[in-house]
Amino acid sequence: MLNRTEGIVLKSSIFGEADLIVTYLTKDFGLLRVFVKSPRKTKSRFGSSIEPLTYAKISFLGKEQANLPRLTQSDIIKPFHKLREDYSGMLNIMELLEMNLHFLIDREPHPSIFRLLLTALSKLESDINNGLYYLYYKIKFLEISGYSPRLEICGRCGGLTEGRRHHNFYVSHGSIICHECIGGDDRAVKVTESALKFYKSIFNWKYSTIDRIKAPAHMLAEIQNVINSHISFISSGSKSFDKRLFLSSR
Amino acid sequence: MTQNIIENLVNQLTKLPGIGRKTAQRLAFFILALPANDAKEIAAAIVDVKDNARFCSNCFNITDADTCSICSDSSRDRNKICVVEEPSNVLAIERTGIFKGTYHVLLGALSPLDGITPDKLKINALLIRIKDNPIEEVILATNPNTKGEMTAKYITEILKPLNIKTSRIAYGLPIGSDIEFADEVTLSKALEGRRDL
Ligand SMILES: [Zn+2]
Ligand SMILES: [Zn+2]
Repeated sequence: MLNRTEGIVLKSSIFGEADLIVTYLTKDFGLLRVFVKSPRKTKSRFGSSIEPLTYAKISFLGKEQANLPRLTQSDIIKPFHKLREDYSGMLNIMELLEMNLHFLIDREPHPSIFRLLLTALSKLESDINNGLYYLYYKIKFLEISGYSPRLEICGRCGGLTEGRRHHNFYVSHGSIICHECIGGDDRAVKVTESALKFYKSIFNWKYSTIDRIKAPAHMLAEIQNVINSHISFISSGSKSFDKRLFLSSR
Repeated sequence: MTQNIIENLVNQLTKLPGIGRKTAQRLAFFILALPANDAKEIAAAIVDVKDNARFCSNCFNITDADTCSICSDSSRDRNKICVVEEPSNVLAIERTGIFKGTYHVLLGALSPLDGITPDKLKINALLIRIKDNPIEEVILATNPNTKGEMTAKYITEILKPLNIKTSRIAYGLPIGSDIEFADEVTLSKALEGRRDL
């Protein structure tokens, strides 16, 4: 059966001599892995259309439950190739791609995550170094996929976490724990009340209005710290990569 | 139970990439009809490569000696290094007959999502080679895809402090192809890489 959808290339892995397995985030099928015959040959008709980040209209052949359907056509809608040419930007983007690969289940449709990624790439094309774009993506992704950290109430007693200047986010609990409930020696990330307010307000924003928000750098850094610690904890055991290993200046 | 010897050969040949059952059968009967010496040479070459193949201690190309035939060839320009991902890329470039320098095989390309970090490639060995020898130019001939491109960018960055001329192979349209059918990325890369005539 021939299926058609739109997808964004997340990654490609070499398979055999000249073949690839390409993983897409698609509009209609969620995470989708397809087999691509001989794309590594110079005359392949797939050209650059199966490079990571490419947004394309694709057709694939295979039964609904087939393990590895075969890509029959891919027409570029938007190549996003300028993003691929920015080395450090690309490392940041790969963190976003990896979240899809790690947390989504094959063939489970997530149209809202698809739109989120597409919008993120479009925004990043205008400013690849805007930290807010990455942060917004991560927070929204966690929300939609059901992995949000709990920052509005205490993870033990359920009490509101308001009225104090500083809070402690316990990575192993995925939540803030109030001062009354603190005990044990788990690793905590400090976060200020104002940064928490900032975090809560993010849920009311859209990507389209994000440019109007001027977030102080320290606030951004605090929330980034919480979100990144949370992501790396909940994805533990995976081969989540460490960006620092890929920087020549380390 | 004794397996039919032809059947056994067919099964062995299907282990090769791109060889399906029908092709394997055709090859098996071809081998059967070969003069004994020719067939034995094929078999011996397979055994030889498994027993003796190793990586060149200088460039990591595949060889049967400590250094490969290219590294030990005194007519090659040792001040130029062409960096490639795989030993098969050396063969491909050698077939052109254009490049007279030496190679450095990385044995892969950077791939964050697959855990291929710089330390898993022969990048450090390249740096040592460059520091220890009077290298004039490093030509980055990694594949023109995202992984190859990231690898080239990373190497360019780490070579910057050494002040060595670094170049990247040009992107072009495949010979014999038609501009009409080239996708926009390939075409824009070919335009960017244009040269004066
Ligand atoms: Zn509490
Ligand atoms: Zn060598």
